[in-house]
Amino acid sequence: MGLFQKLVNLLGVGRKEVNVLVVGLNNSGKTTVVNSFKSEEDKMTDIVPTVGFNIEKFQNQNLAFTAFDMSGHGRYRDLWEHYYKECHGIIFVIDSSDRLRLVVVKEELDLLLQHPNICQKSIPILFFANKMDCKDALSSVKIAAALGLDKIMDKPWHISASNALTGEGLQEGVEWLTQQIRENLNVKH
Amino acid sequence: MSAFKRDKKEEEDSGGNPFQNIEKTSVLQEARIFNETSVNPRKCIPILTKLLYMLNQGEQLSAKEATDVFFAMTKLFQSKDVILRRLVYLGIKELSSIADDVIIVTSSLTKDMTGKEDIYRAAAIRALCSITDATMLQAIERYMKQAIVDRNPAVSSAALVSSLHMTKFAPEVVKRWVNEAQEAVNNENVMVQYHALGLLYHIRKTDRLAVTKLVARLTRMSLKSPYAVCMLIRIAAKLIEEEGADNSSPYFQYIESCFRHKSEMVVYEAAHAIVNLDRTTSRELAQAISVLQLFCGAPKPTLRFAAVRTLNQVAISHPAAVTACNLDLENLITDSNRSIATLAITTLLKTGAESSVDRLMKQIATFVSEISDEFKIVVVQAIRALALKFPRKHSVLMNFLSAMLRDEGGLEYKASIADTIITIIEDNPDAKETGLAHLCEFIEDCEHVSLAVRILNLLGKEGPKTKQPSRYIRFIYNRVILECPSIRAAAVSAMAQFGASCPELLENIQVLLARCQMDSDDEVRDRATYYSNILSKNDKSLYNNYILDTLQVSIPALERTLKEYIQNSTEEPFDIKAVPVVQISKPDEQDTKPKSEGMLISSGPTKTAPASREEQFAVRLSNLPDVQSLGPLFRSSEVIELTESETEYVVRCVKHCYARHVVLQFDCLNTLNDQLLENVRIQLEPSEGYKIVNQIPCPKLPYNETGTVYIVLQFPENDLPNSIGTFGAVLKFIVKDCDPATGLPDIDEGYDDEYMLEDLEVTLGDQIQKVSKANWGASWDEAESTFFEMEDTYALSSMNSLEEAVTNIIKFLGLQPQERSDKVPKGKTTHTLLLAGIFRGGIEVLVRAKLALADGVTMQLTVRSQNEGVSELITSAVG
Repeated sequence: MGLFQKLVNLLGVGRKEVNVLVVGLNNSGKTTVVNSFKSEEDKMTDIVPTVGFNIEKFQNQNLAFTAFDMSGHGRYRDLWEHYYKECHGIIFVIDSSDRLRLVVVKEELDLLLQHPNICQKSIPILFFANKMDCKDALSSVKIAAALGLDKIMDKPWHISASNALTGEGLQEGVEWLTQQIRENLNVKH
Repeated sequence: MSAFKRDKKEEEDSGGNPFQNIEKTSVLQEARIFNETSVNPRKCIPILTKLLYMLNQGEQLSAKEATDVFFAMTKLFQSKDVILRRLVYLGIKELSSIADDVIIVTSSLTKDMTGKEDIYRAAAIRALCSITDATMLQAIERYMKQAIVDRNPAVSSAALVSSLHMTKFAPEVVKRWVNEAQEAVNNENVMVQYHALGLLYHIRKTDRLAVTKLVARLTRMSLKSPYAVCMLIRIAAKLIEEEGADNSSPYFQYIESCFRHKSEMVVYEAAHAIVNLDRTTSRELAQAISVLQLFCGAPKPTLRFAAVRTLNQVAISHPAAVTACNLDLENLITDSNRSIATLAITTLLKTGAESSVDRLMKQIATFVSEISDEFKIVVVQAIRALALKFPRKHSVLMNFLSAMLRDEGGLEYKASIADTIITIIEDNPDAKETGLAHLCEFIEDCEHVSLAVRILNLLGKEGPKTKQPSRYIRFIYNRVILECPSIRAAAVSAMAQFGASCPELLENIQVLLARCQMDSDDEVRDRATYYSNILSKNDKSLYNNYILDTLQVSIPALERTLKEYIQNSTEEPFDIKAVPVVQISKPDEQDTKPKSEGMLISSGPTKTAPASREEQFAVRLSNLPDVQSLGPLFRSSEVIELTESETEYVVRCVKHCYARHVVLQFDCLNTLNDQLLENVRIQLEPSEGYKIVNQIPCPKLPYNETGTVYIVLQFPENDLPNSIGTFGAVLKFIVKDCDPATGLPDIDEGYDDEYMLEDLEVTLGDQIQKVSKANWGASWDEAESTFFEMEDTYALSSMNSLEEAVTNIIKFLGLQPQERSDKVPKGKTTHTLLLAGIFRGGIEVLVRAKLALADGVTMQLTVRSQNEGVSELITSAVG
């Protein structure tokens, strides 16, 4: 990050609003991830399964994020696509302790990547290998291999192991996402 | 806010409705702006307003359009603008029934409903409940319970009312919120208390005991909300009606104590409840009426209106009590509010003496042109009641009615006047000639086709019986020259009736009919040709069958059978006898109408009457195996209860009669929530001669559902006397205990059980369909030579009056009374009852019963029918 860019960020001149979509299977921790980005006074204390979606707002480096926290329940997964069109980035949350459903995760990911509103755009995808504190959690490398992330050529992606309860690993990931989205915006202008 | 202001300015500029020329496609196009990354409330608010306006104007969206705009709208949740958010709630409610996947906003709405922003919460609850279905309700149950007992009254009310709406699709879930509702009844806020009581009552209303407890508890604690007290009065009044309690019951005392309530609304409600009770005695009535009397002099027009409207309703049932208010009502005649004045006058007309009729009629005439159609109808109904009460005043009333007929007015208004004139004509022979003359004059200038057709039909029926039938011909023939095809056709039919009934006019009628055969419309030509042909035959029985008596089959059934006939190409000619005969609609349907108007709890808009009960049954039955081969359905009986209404299993029976078979339809209801019944069947012990042809059991009967068992029986062959019989019946089934919450059985194996039912009777009335003959006398005379006649005399010792005897005979025989012979003139000791009907298999039955009153009733019964056995059956069944 250049000195000038840092200055701009500091002064809040280049402040932009962007939409990100938070998806993933149910019980992977999407709402918890989004919750930990929020400022201290806005945080929810108890988190229940989302029905439909929630809209949350948070900031990172002068980029105002509007997160569409989608429900991961099987019944509602086909509703994600209604929100693909307007998003600037995707956060894909994976429960790294749930080995059994990793194939389901792969299936949903493939569907998402093949969707006409996604496949033509070069939008950044951030993967959180969540619940890294669990005993039998897979490492982020193993998950990347299992999902075949190395085959994604046309989109920037990044995987980081995280623990949404403590906030470990989240900041690193979201900083990468901010960087990517900012680059995309700069290219457009 | 700024957006609203701007809108207002635009409105002033253009001086009209800014939304006048909006188009669906352009609004949907504009709605795409909702999808933009950063939401601009100033742009979105007017668009959303337009969308809502459009939907409220009745514009229909397809499911795809609605879903697209719905999902676009969900993105507006990211804006924090208060006005925009509340518009989104409205939008969600509007689209919830059309768009797919509306549950997507569940979490967003739950967040708003539990959030800190009070202004969102109530509206979010209402929107949430409109998108929730029975399966999703579990997920939000916790929040609903919290909202019901919320400290904010708006939130609590919204939750309560929404719960009430949701009982429609998830009664079981809402039932679990009864404790919260109970707590809300103790709320300080008047609206919350009212809504909570409403929900509580709705949850418990099927359980009489619970309602009794509820009322007992609440009447002791003094409710703060006058609305809740009004509701409680209504519930108490309903309990009194159901239990048949008298004035010593605690409910009654509670209602009476409400007379001393400080709110006028409550006092009125109490008075209204008491005057509408079935069995109020004059003592309690006097108190209620005096309250209403006090209201008549109140300064508030609403109170005066309420009081006089109630007095008007009870004037018929309790005229003596209302007479006490006559002086106050006289004062209200000159009230500046026309509605109050109209009701006051019509009430006076109902209670007043014959001498005051002229004066009151003059009073009405002064302002009748100023009031709305709705109140004019009230006036007309009052005049009808008056005419029946004081037949001698018919000329004054008739003149007044004809003046009203000449005024401007809608169809309903004109129809009610015509109805009244027709009633007067039928009831009062003296008024017939003048009444017909007025109607003739009216059709000269009548813009309502249906009314003109009705009057022409009446002229055709009544005209030939007058002293000078020829004078009506001119009026009728004028219609042929001047009106539209449907009226011309009716006029042709009316003329033919004159031709058939008055031989001296026949020649002239033939000339007129010949001219009608040149008409431009084919229906008119067809009728003219048809009638002129029959009339040229000069055969009395042809006249009777094809001109005076019209077709008596049920029209939808005729359509159905004709369609079937055309589809299977057979050589046989179509048999009109195979078409079921139309059932004559009961006259008491009309009598109950005014009663329901004064009912305590509004039942919502009256449902449109189903096409025909028989027709619906016919369609259902024809889906059963084998039943199709039985021929057309002849008659379906009334529903008979075979159990007490509050037992474990409720069984109702409908008897469907066919030409040679009877199908018994048993509707069974399982009211035990911990039982699942399987293989439900009825074991029947038929009486002698009956044969069970087929049985269709009900495979499964879960809690609170109605299943149907059918049994097909064959009537005893060639043995008519035995067709009347009593059957023993037992309900048999396999019981499986199950979990009340899920309805799933605990174990796979069930055990057999049975349940005794009351005996079932197949009566004579079940086998006879009522028909009405236009000219009973002619048919009777004609039947003398061709039909089998039986005659017998009976002593009906248990009957004490002729009226009682007449109603019982009609009920027992199931025949239709003819020529208004079911009405016994007052003070007579003899009466002749004329009846007609069709026995199953299409056998015509005519019955004449001569009754004489002397120490019980003596009856001479003459039966004429096409079949000897049937005549015999009827005479023997009476004995």
